[in-house]
Amino acid sequence: MALKILSVDDSRTIRLIVGKAFKPYECDMLEASNGEEGLAAAAREKPDLIILDVTMPVMDGVTMLTRLKADEALKAIPVIMLTAESGRENVLHIAKLGVRDYLVKPFKDDQLIEKAGRVIPLQKKPVPA
Amino acid sequence: MTRHLVDVFETMLSMPVTLQPDVLLPHFDSRVTGSVGFAGEKVTGAIYLHMSAPFAATVAATMLGLKPEEISDENEVNDVVGEATNMVTGGLKSWLCDSGADCAMSTPAIIRGTSFSIEPMPDVERECLVFAFEKNFIVVEIHIKLN
Repeated sequence: MALKILSVDDSRTIRLIVGKAFKPYECDMLEASNGEEGLAAAAREKPDLIILDVTMPVMDGVTMLTRLKADEALKAIPVIMLTAESGRENVLHIAKLGVRDYLVKPFKDDQLIEKAGRVIPLQKKPVPA
Repeated sequence: MTRHLVDVFETMLSMPVTLQPDVLLPHFDSRVTGSVGFAGEKVTGAIYLHMSAPFAATVAATMLGLKPEEISDENEVNDVVGEATNMVTGGLKSWLCDSGADCAMSTPAIIRGTSFSIEPMPDVERECLVFAFEKNFIVVEIHIKLN
């Protein structure tokens, strides 16, 4: 069964870039545009990995992560945070919340895949003969 | 700031932009401007990222892996310019926070027009940096006030 990856970002651009990065791999991409939608999608779909933005309207990534980790049914889902902020305090703050890893924007596809591959068993799609 | 802008364009767009310290502020016939504000106890301000509308469409197409003519929706361009502004501001915010001036960032906003200027509030310092990629200019306008 294909892995499910949930991309939560208010920027459609970033969701497209994340989706494109995982396209060569056996996984189904799910999307949400803020933390509230992300929590609902996580509860409904039980993804294998969440790629989560920090700064979003309606509900930001830190709030979503805090609620996710407080939910017995969802707290085991690994989360990789995407952040435009690489400052020490920001990194320490999100690390304390229980993220598996984080990636600072701007990023390259292969950086995201490398970090995701450490968390879930990514497998390449077979190349058509 | 130069490093952050160069990083965003090189990493996400494979566009090697260079700082043009001796170039006057360019005039854009039709302009797309991304803006992100930041505010904290010790510092407040905003970053504005200006570029021409045709170049903004090229930037959007490149980031989305499309041809410029395939960009039909203004919202796609707005989203890309907003996200690029967010990344540049994130770099500045990180530096400010590491320097002891903790602050929070707003979500991006977009201004489009043919003739407008952004005037700083009193006591706000303004700095403009001009960058170029081939024959296209990008202006980073920084408004900052130390409290």
